[in-house]
Amino acid sequence: MFDAITKYLSSATTPGEAGSIFWATIYILIITAGISLSVIAMNWLERKILAHMQIRLGPMRVGPHGLLQPFADALKLLIKEDIIPAEADKLVFWSAPVVVTMTAFTTFLVVPFGRTHAVTDMNIGILFMLGVSSLGVLGIIMAGWSSNSHYPLMGSLRSSAQMVSYEIAMGLAIICAVLMTSLQTGTGTLSMIGIVEAQASQHTWFIFKFFPLGFLAFGVFAIAMVAETNRAPFDLPEAESELVAGFHTEYSGFRWSLFFLAEYAAMLAVSSIAVTLWLGGWMRPFPNWLSGSIWNLAFSLFPALTLFVLAGLCLLGTARMPKIPQMKIQTVGLGIFGLLLGFIGLVLIIPGVRERVQDIYWFVVKVAFFMYMYIWYRGTFPRYRFDQLMKVGWKVLLPTGLAVLIATALWGLLPQISSAIVGVLP
Amino acid sequence: MGENQPGYREWTMSDSTRTDYLDLDTKDETFLDATELVLNMGPQHPSTHGVLRVILKLDGEKVLGTECVIGYLHRGVEKIGENRTYAMFNPYVDRMDYVASVSNGLGYCEAVEKLLNVEAPPRAQYIRVILTELCRIASHQVWLGTHALDIGALTPLFYCFRDREEILKIFEKYCGARLTTHAFRIGGCIYEAYDGFEQDCQKFCDAFLPKLDEYEELLTTNRIWVRRTKGVGILNPEDCIALGVTGPVLRAAGVKWDLRRAQPYEAYKDFDFEIPTGLNGDTYDRYLVRIEEMRQSVRIIRQAVEGLPQGPIMAKVPKVIKPPVGEIYHSIEAPKGELGYFIVSDGSTQPYRVRVRPPSFVNLQALDKMVRGLLVADVVAVIGTLDIVLGEVDR
Amino acid sequence: MSLKPLLRKLFLVDLIKGLKVTFNYQAPSEAITEQYPLERPVIFERFRGQPRLNSNPDTGESLCIVCNLCALACPEQLIVVKGERNPTTKRKEVVSWTYDLSRCMFCGLCAEACSTDALELTQDYEMALYTREGMVLDQAALERGQEPKRYEK
Ligand code: SF4
Ligand code: SF4
Repeated sequence: MFDAITKYLSSATTPGEAGSIFWATIYILIITAGISLSVIAMNWLERKILAHMQIRLGPMRVGPHGLLQPFADALKLLIKEDIIPAEADKLVFWSAPVVVTMTAFTTFLVVPFGRTHAVTDMNIGILFMLGVSSLGVLGIIMAGWSSNSHYPLMGSLRSSAQMVSYEIAMGLAIICAVLMTSLQTGTGTLSMIGIVEAQASQHTWFIFKFFPLGFLAFGVFAIAMVAETNRAPFDLPEAESELVAGFHTEYSGFRWSLFFLAEYAAMLAVSSIAVTLWLGGWMRPFPNWLSGSIWNLAFSLFPALTLFVLAGLCLLGTARMPKIPQMKIQTVGLGIFGLLLGFIGLVLIIPGVRERVQDIYWFVVKVAFFMYMYIWYRGTFPRYRFDQLMKVGWKVLLPTGLAVLIATALWGLLPQISSAIVGVLP
Repeated sequence: MGENQPGYREWTMSDSTRTDYLDLDTKDETFLDATELVLNMGPQHPSTHGVLRVILKLDGEKVLGTECVIGYLHRGVEKIGENRTYAMFNPYVDRMDYVASVSNGLGYCEAVEKLLNVEAPPRAQYIRVILTELCRIASHQVWLGTHALDIGALTPLFYCFRDREEILKIFEKYCGARLTTHAFRIGGCIYEAYDGFEQDCQKFCDAFLPKLDEYEELLTTNRIWVRRTKGVGILNPEDCIALGVTGPVLRAAGVKWDLRRAQPYEAYKDFDFEIPTGLNGDTYDRYLVRIEEMRQSVRIIRQAVEGLPQGPIMAKVPKVIKPPVGEIYHSIEAPKGELGYFIVSDGSTQPYRVRVRPPSFVNLQALDKMVRGLLVADVVAVIGTLDIVLGEVDR
Repeated sequence: MSLKPLLRKLFLVDLIKGLKVTFNYQAPSEAITEQYPLERPVIFERFRGQPRLNSNPDTGESLCIVCNLCALACPEQLIVVKGERNPTTKRKEVVSWTYDLSRCMFCGLCAEACSTDALELTQDYEMALYTREGMVLDQAALERGQEPKRYEK
C-alpha cells in the first residue's frame, strides 16, 4: 500500500494519462472537497473583505472573527424548509440546481493545479472547459423558467443573453493564447497542461508575450470572465435592487445553496483558465530572473511561510481578543486554529512534500488574486444596465478581441512574412 | 357609485381577476396581450424605498407604463392633527419624512408661528438654520447612499452613513433624539445650544468636505455611473412646473427656484449661498445638484455658526396656544422640495384642519412620465433619484 | 474628443480612482462598527430614554405633587396619575402612577411640563421586552429606574 503511494507520487503524469482509475477517483474526491472548502473560505473572505472596504467588521460573532459563520450558514441552509412554488414545474425546478452544480464541478477535471496535479490531461482541455462551463447557462434558464414567476424569468433571460454574448469575446481571447503556444514554435496545443508547458519552454507568461497583445487579450478575458460568472459590475441576472434575487428568487434552503456553490465554483473555474492561459499556471514567479537552486529552495518555502504568517496572525488575534468570559471559547478556538495552521506549515517544510505542494500553492495564489479582484469590483462599482452590458460585450470587447487576435496572428507570422517579402524582392 | 346610476352592476367573482382598473394607457384594449408582462414591484421590494408598490407594464424589459399604489404606510397624520393641541401635534410631524425630521418640525412650527403672529428670536432662528441645514445634509446622504445602492454601488451607502452619524450625534447632543428629534417648539427653540455646539458643527464641516470628494471619486466620473444616470429619467422644466415637482428635481431641470431664496424664511436672507441648477434634468444632473447642495449647506452652517447671535431663544408664546380664527399656508424648502403646511384654526386649542403638502408625494407623480420607454433597471434608478420617503408620501 | 479624456478613458482612470478609495478603506482601524453588547454606545446628556420618577434624595419622598400636568401634556395620553390629599400633611400624594411605555414616542413633552422635575427621561435606552406585559410601568418601577441587564449568551 505504502509502496503504491510512494510509487505513484514519484510518477510524473496525471492519473488520467496513467490510466489509473483508482487515483483518478481519489483526485476527483479531493478536488470536489477542495472546491467546496474554498467556496466556504471564499464566502468568509468575501464578507470580511467587503465589510472592511465598507468600513464594517463583517461577521464577528460565530467563532473568532466569524470564522465559523459560513459553516453556520451552511447548516442553516441545510435544515431550512425546502419550498417549491405551487405552480412550478417540479422536475425542472428540481434538476436546475443539479445541472448548474454538476457543470461547475465538471470543469475542474482538466484544471492543472500542477504538472501531475490534475485528474487528466485532455488534448482538447480548454475546449472541454469552455464547453462544459457554458452548459451552466442551461441550468439557469431552467431555474428561471420552471419557477413560473416574473423576476426569475427576467433574471434567467438576462443571464442567458449575457453569457452567450460574452462567451464569444472570451473565446477570441482564448484563441489568442492558444495561438501563442504555436506561433514561432510550431507546436500548438489545446491541452491545459500543454499550454503551461509551452509558457515554460518559451520562458515567458503569455500575458507578457507580444507585449501589449498578450496583455490586451488577458484584459479582454478578465472583463469577459466577470460578466460570464454574473458578478458585479455585470451582476444583472441577480441584480438585487431590480430583480430581488434574479433566477434563484424562488429557491430556498439546500437548492439555493447549490446555486451559491455553483456560482463560486464557476468563478474559481474561469479564474483557473485565466491563470493557466496567461499567468503561467503552476509556475513560480520569476523563473528566469531568479533562477538557480538557492532561489528554487527559497520559493519552495513560500507555502510554509504563508501558513506561518497566517498562524502568527491568528495568535496575534488571540492575544488581542477582549478578555471577558463570554469570549473565552472564541479566544481558545482561534489559538487552536493558529496552532493548527502552524503545524500544517511545519509539514509543508518536509522536503518531499515541499516540492510537490509548491505547484499547487502558486496556482492557488494566482487564483486567489482573481478572487480578490472579484470582491474588489463588487465593493466599488455600480451595475451596468442590460443594454449597456450588451454594448460593452458586442461593441467593445468583441472588436478588441478580434483585433488582438488578428494582430497576434500577424505578429506571430512576422518571420515568415518578412522572409517571404525578402524572397520576393530581387 | 349608486345602484341606480348608469353602468352599475353587481360585483361578481370574475371581478377579482380583472386588471383593467389599473387604468394604464391602453384601457380599451385587453390589458394583457401576449407580448406584455405585468410586473409587481413592491410593496416588498429591495429598492422601492419602503412600501411603494409600482405596477409595471413591460414589453420585455421596456416599460410601457406604470401605476403607483401608495398608502401602505398611511397613519392618518393629518387626522391626528385635528385631535391634538398645537404643541402636541409637533412631535408627530417628525414622523412623516423621518430622514429629515428637523425640517418637518421647522415647517410646522413656522406655520403656527405665522398663525399666532409671533416670530422666533434671532438666536433661535440661527440655531434652527444650522440644524435644518445639517438635516439637509443628512437627508441627502441617505439619498446618495440608497440611490447608489439601487444602481449597484454598495459601498457609498456605508460611507454616507458613517458621516451622517456625526450629524445625528449633534442632534442627540442638542435635543436628545437622533431620528425623530422634536427639536423646535412653537415660538423658538426649547433647548439652548449645548457647550461645544459651535465647535462640533465646525468640526463636522471641516471633516465632511473631503468625505464628499471621496463620494464623488467613487461615482461622479465613474463610467458605469455616468452611463446609468446620464439621460435617464429626463424631466423638462415645463413638465416639472405642470406636475408641481419641486426641490432638487426641479432645480436639476434648470429652474432656479429655492424657497430659501424666493420667500426667505428664518434667517436665510442673512446668508450667502448659491442655488445649484442643472441643465438637462436627468438623473445625473439631479445627482450633481444634490451633491452641490450639500456643499452649499456646509457654507450656510459655517456662516450661521460664526454669526450666531446671543439672546433669548423663545418668543413670548402663551402657555396654551390658541391662535385666532383664520387659515395659513406656509412652506419651506425641505431637502426633498417644497414642504407646505395648511392649517385652519377655529380659535380653539386644536387645529380645525391640518393639511400637509409633502414634496415626496408630489414628486412621485412624475415617475410615470420619467420612466416610460426606459428599462426596468431605470425605474429603480428613477425612484432613487426622486428621493421619496414613503412615510411622507402616505402620511 | 481631445486626447486627454480619451487617454483617461482608455486607461480606466475613473475606475482605478474608485478602486483606490475602497482599497484604502480596508485598514481595520477604519472600521466604525460598534459591537453593541460588548461596546456600549456613548449616550449624551439630553437623551430622552427610559422615564424615571425622582424622589427627594434626603427624605426619600416622591417629588411628584400630582399636578397632572404631564398627563395633560402627553399627546398619546398614556400617563395616568391619581392622587389623594394627605389629611395630615395637606399634601397631595400619589395613589397610582402609570406610564405605558409601549405607546410612548419619547417626545419629551411630559418631562418639559413637569413643574417639579419629578418626571425625567433618562439616558437608559434598553427598554425592549419580549411581551407587552411589563410595558406599563407603575410608580415603583419608575422610581427604581432600569436595572441594567448584562449580556450573556
Ligand atoms: S415622552 Fe411624549 S409620548 Fe412619551 S409620555 Fe412623555 S409626552 Fe407622552
Ligand atoms: S407633572 Fe410632574 S409633578 Fe405633576 S403629576 Fe406629572 S410627574 Fe407629578
